[in-house]
Amino acid sequence: MNMPDLQPLMPEIVFLGLALFVLLAELFIKSKETIGLMVIVSVAATAYMIPQSFGVTFSGMFISDGYSSFFKFIFLLNLILTILISIQYIQIERAEFGEYYTVLMFSTLGMMIMASAGDLIVLYLGLELMALSTYILAGFIRHDARSTESALKYFLLGAFSSAILLYGIMLLYGLTGTTDIMKLSSLLMKNGMRLQSIFAIVMVMVAFGFKIALVPFHMWAPDVYEGAPTSITAFMSVGPKAAGFAVIGRVFLTGLEGFSADWRLLLVVLSIATMAVGNIIAIQQHNLKRMLAYSSIAHAGYAVLGVIAGNTEGLSATMNYLLIYAFMNIGAFSVLVLLRNEQERIETLEQIKGLARNHPFASALMLIFMFSLTGIPPTAGFVGKFFLFRALVYSGYTWLAVVAVVFSAISAYFYLRVVMYMYMYEPEEGVTQDISTAAPLGLALLITSLMVIAIGIYPEPFVNFARLVVG
Amino acid sequence: MVEAFFIYFALMVVFCSVMVVSRKNPVHSVLWMLVMFFHVAGLYLMLNAEFLAATQIIVYAGAILVLFLFVIMLLNLKEEIATEHSVGGWPGGLALAVSFLLFALLAFTGFTVKASGKWSIQEVSRLTHTKALGKVLYTEYLFPFEVASVILLVAIVGAVVLAKKKLKS
Amino acid sequence: MKYYLLIPFLPLAGFLLNILLGRRLFRSQAHWPSTLAVFGSLVVAVMVLMDVLHGKTLNHDLYRWIISDKFQVSVGFLIDQLTAVMLIVVTSVSFLVHVYSIGYMHDDPGYYRFFAYLSLFTFSMLMLVMANNFLQLYFGWEAVGLCSYLLIGFWYEKKSASDAGKKAFIVNRFGDFGFGLGVIMIFLTLGTLHYIPVFDKINTLTGQTINILGLHVNLVTLIALLLFCGAVGKSAQIPLHVWLPDAMEGPTPVSALIHAATMVTAGVFMVARCNPIFNLSHTAMNVVAVVGGVTALFAATIALVQNDIKRVIAYSTISQLGYMFLACGVGAYGAGIFHLYTHAYFKALLFLCAGSVMHAMAGELDMQKMGGLKKYMPVTYWTMLIASLSISGIPGLAGFFSKDEILFRAYASGGVGRFVWVLGTAAAILTAFYSFRLIFVTFHGEFRGTEEQRHHLHESPKVMTVPLVLLCIGAVAAGWVGVPPLLGGSEHFAHFLEPVVGLPHAKEVSHAEEWMTMGISVAVALAGILIAAVFYLKNPAIPRRLAERFPFLYRLLWNKYYVDELYDYIVVRPALGIANNIIVKFTDGAIIEGIVNGVPAFIGWLGAQMRKVQDGVVEHYASIMAVGIFVLLAIGMIFLI
Repeated sequence: MNMPDLQPLMPEIVFLGLALFVLLAELFIKSKETIGLMVIVSVAATAYMIPQSFGVTFSGMFISDGYSSFFKFIFLLNLILTILISIQYIQIERAEFGEYYTVLMFSTLGMMIMASAGDLIVLYLGLELMALSTYILAGFIRHDARSTESALKYFLLGAFSSAILLYGIMLLYGLTGTTDIMKLSSLLMKNGMRLQSIFAIVMVMVAFGFKIALVPFHMWAPDVYEGAPTSITAFMSVGPKAAGFAVIGRVFLTGLEGFSADWRLLLVVLSIATMAVGNIIAIQQHNLKRMLAYSSIAHAGYAVLGVIAGNTEGLSATMNYLLIYAFMNIGAFSVLVLLRNEQERIETLEQIKGLARNHPFASALMLIFMFSLTGIPPTAGFVGKFFLFRALVYSGYTWLAVVAVVFSAISAYFYLRVVMYMYMYEPEEGVTQDISTAAPLGLALLITSLMVIAIGIYPEPFVNFARLVVG
Repeated sequence: MVEAFFIYFALMVVFCSVMVVSRKNPVHSVLWMLVMFFHVAGLYLMLNAEFLAATQIIVYAGAILVLFLFVIMLLNLKEEIATEHSVGGWPGGLALAVSFLLFALLAFTGFTVKASGKWSIQEVSRLTHTKALGKVLYTEYLFPFEVASVILLVAIVGAVVLAKKKLKS
Repeated sequence: MKYYLLIPFLPLAGFLLNILLGRRLFRSQAHWPSTLAVFGSLVVAVMVLMDVLHGKTLNHDLYRWIISDKFQVSVGFLIDQLTAVMLIVVTSVSFLVHVYSIGYMHDDPGYYRFFAYLSLFTFSMLMLVMANNFLQLYFGWEAVGLCSYLLIGFWYEKKSASDAGKKAFIVNRFGDFGFGLGVIMIFLTLGTLHYIPVFDKINTLTGQTINILGLHVNLVTLIALLLFCGAVGKSAQIPLHVWLPDAMEGPTPVSALIHAATMVTAGVFMVARCNPIFNLSHTAMNVVAVVGGVTALFAATIALVQNDIKRVIAYSTISQLGYMFLACGVGAYGAGIFHLYTHAYFKALLFLCAGSVMHAMAGELDMQKMGGLKKYMPVTYWTMLIASLSISGIPGLAGFFSKDEILFRAYASGGVGRFVWVLGTAAAILTAFYSFRLIFVTFHGEFRGTEEQRHHLHESPKVMTVPLVLLCIGAVAAGWVGVPPLLGGSEHFAHFLEPVVGLPHAKEVSHAEEWMTMGISVAVALAGILIAAVFYLKNPAIPRRLAERFPFLYRLLWNKYYVDELYDYIVVRPALGIANNIIVKFTDGAIIEGIVNGVPAFIGWLGAQMRKVQDGVVEHYASIMAVGIFVLLAIGMIFLI
């Protein structure tokens, strides 16, 4: 056998090499800022390689195309922002092990492999690489029972979902004799076993639904998001979710396109349940981190709508939404990181009462992110939802768009409540609202808030870019 | 004759699995698991997969199970810690398991037997299983194989970080 | 010509700087970012004017926000002669008001906030006038309304101020509702919202009718009148004029900038901008002319008897805006814009002078408690006198040229024009009268205030008087660009605007008639001043006797024709009555409350129930996942096989 073409794999190879380098360097370099900087440089080098890597290799197991590149861009962005908000935060949490950065990189590598997977086995391995790294990261604050508990829960349920995914892959293999995603659809149609095919589709959908936290496979999310270190929550709520969408797009829209009427119906059910549960339970939450966990569940419900629309327009709307969501969600979590001081965590609504008095700037940022998550123009959140709903209407799902808008309206209640607590109340007695002053964190907030506004004001290039890579 | 062996191994795997989950004493569970692993290895042998059978015994029975026993002894677990909260207890679980089984059986009916490709039984026995497996793993499936190695690396790093590293106060 | 972008965005930058950093960083220096920004805009506006004078115009979509088929939300700029004039008016007055505010607001606790709002207003107003499409116009329209609301209620601790802010906002809702409908109608019928295609295609709608409750309404007339609704609200014309006098609760620089020179003239600007639409409908034009003429006279009569110095000027503003609409209604858009432009200077000057007086009188507004201020504040006196001469229409000053132009055009257009000419001329005499009543009562005679106030009297600081003098130059000279041919001029202004608004098509009018209208307007101006002098300088007993002689008329005027009371009876009270009795008791109590409280309560309850499932036990989570799988499988088997 000849040497396989490694060109499409170069970004991943370089990234892996740099991750190993960071792992070793961490033994000698004690300054976490330097390590963080090294990671960011690695990301830059990898990002540079991505556009030159287009191609297919390992007989279709690995595909590097515009679609995968868009997602890799989101993953790398997610990594950079996470690094920026972590540097000081993990010191405050007394968990400043250098491996933190390497594991983050490995997790990102897993996502990149998922986005490029052309074969179910590669997909599964990428998913495991990502997931295993996230389990570790979730439990990174070892002395905190909440963190450890969340890691364990995530691990147990994650293993369960992996088993289901393997089951689904096994069924697909049994029905078609291949694990090549591109060949699945035609072989399944030829096989003609509808019931069995649907059974396999359900299995795969459940496993992916677990990763993007679709109801009822979301149960892990609130507990894990709340318990994990806040920076990791930000990371997990964006990266693995986007990776999940990347494989959903690849597997369902190309691999199983022959069954689109079937999986669409199932996704409609899941997305309505997700929007309902995410938004409705979020109203009950007084802990911001937990509220954001439910909000991130709800947002997965919106993002799925683009997959349901099922065309270029819909898929690009979903991708665009994920990019926007990365900025606004990490932004919101960054504000929470900002509010973590040496003495206490400021996490509940009661604690942020009157925050605008003490920290007008932090409050203004939170306001921007809350507006964006609600979907109020001229923030990016509005643009994201607008194009999602528009794609949905054009594919004949007007009623579903109406449902989504109603849930969106419900969501205003708990997002704007945060704003109300910050601006309309007097600070509570005895709550010190000291905030972190780390420069990298400030940079992350700057990037996220600027992008939320910029995409909100000037969405065209982003929308067109997503359309371009899909079409 | 072959069928008889298969039925024996298969039934034993099911029986041992039930015993694993139903024992109150963790040590008993682990020992039942050991028995189960041997029978799984037997199934592998019947599929001409002698390498997998050996690995099964060395890795699972040899390494992993010993690790289990160590942990149990270190934690000094005499009995499974009883938890109050189980949904509907075992009847619910059984119902779920049975319905899953039914669905699975239904699904299997759709399986199609394709003409064997490059790796026919004759070819595998000619080359020997180990060699065949090695060939596939290091050529066709090189990429997944390498990804798997990274997964193992992450597992090691994770284990070290979560278990070994001292906290800096 | 790309630098035109600086015009709106400099004030935006000023706003952002002040709102973000004003409280902490700038504090008492908060005027710097805003004032410098608007000065920059002024400079660029002059450059743009130069370009336009050289014939360079521009229609450019800067960026498209969201495109959904035909519906485009875009920001674009149309820079033509009309825009250039508006840019100069807005930036110059805004700059002078900024400078003036440095002195006027100097120790206000909300100093930075004031300048931030002022910048935001300037930005919004500039976006409004520079728009190249109706949606952006609407955006600017609402944004200036918002700024107006914020600035009227700037001293929100004062109940009357926050009430006035609300009143302005609510009254404008009525007009804006119509305006919004008009914009929607344009989109529905023409499929675009950009000015140029709309104006090109509007001809195709002539003769088309639309069926509203069985009535066949001419489509163009309907669109024009809906748009005009917005103008009536924003420019405080009858019957939506009631908010403007109350808006005087805001700081005086705000009254000068927003409620005299710029925002309230947006309606006139819009009508002039949409002249291709209005020109197609005689009905709409006549409505515009009559509303303008009636408002001019009506508001002037109210101004006769008011004692609140700012309210007199506010009614005067309403009246002058009436003139502008009158001009537009007879097709003389150029004359309307000309008056808009001269009016901006002399009216802003009047307000700022009033502010200067208030500054000296420690916030006193009742002119009956003033008097004899001339010797204490000479600069204020002289500049205000010139502004009053200008508004009265004394030849040579800015107001003369523009007002004379309007009245002449009205007369020349014949028909309805003659009627509104009579109204306008009658209003002119009243204008001269109330303007000089204000001057005489305030600055002449004996001081009637308290001893403490007399002690406090002083001329305002330089930072306030210099803007007065600069505006005064405008009040004198602004009209010189539009000297009619009759007086040896060549009507530069009208010809400059001709590419946008055209020239009014007048009937043949003889020179004699032209001399006659001019003579009449000068005569009535002088007469008005003379009567005021007799009433308030020579024989101050006359006004009181007149009031006693005609108590009904006096009370009618004093109470502003009871319009507020009328609205109170026919709109506010029924609305509140419905609100209190039907909505609160029945709809609200039973239905809305049921929904408003019930739905969140239900959702809350639902959330609480759902939350119970989230009990933290992993086995339960796994079981729920398993159940989920079976539900999906069941759906698959039932619906898909």
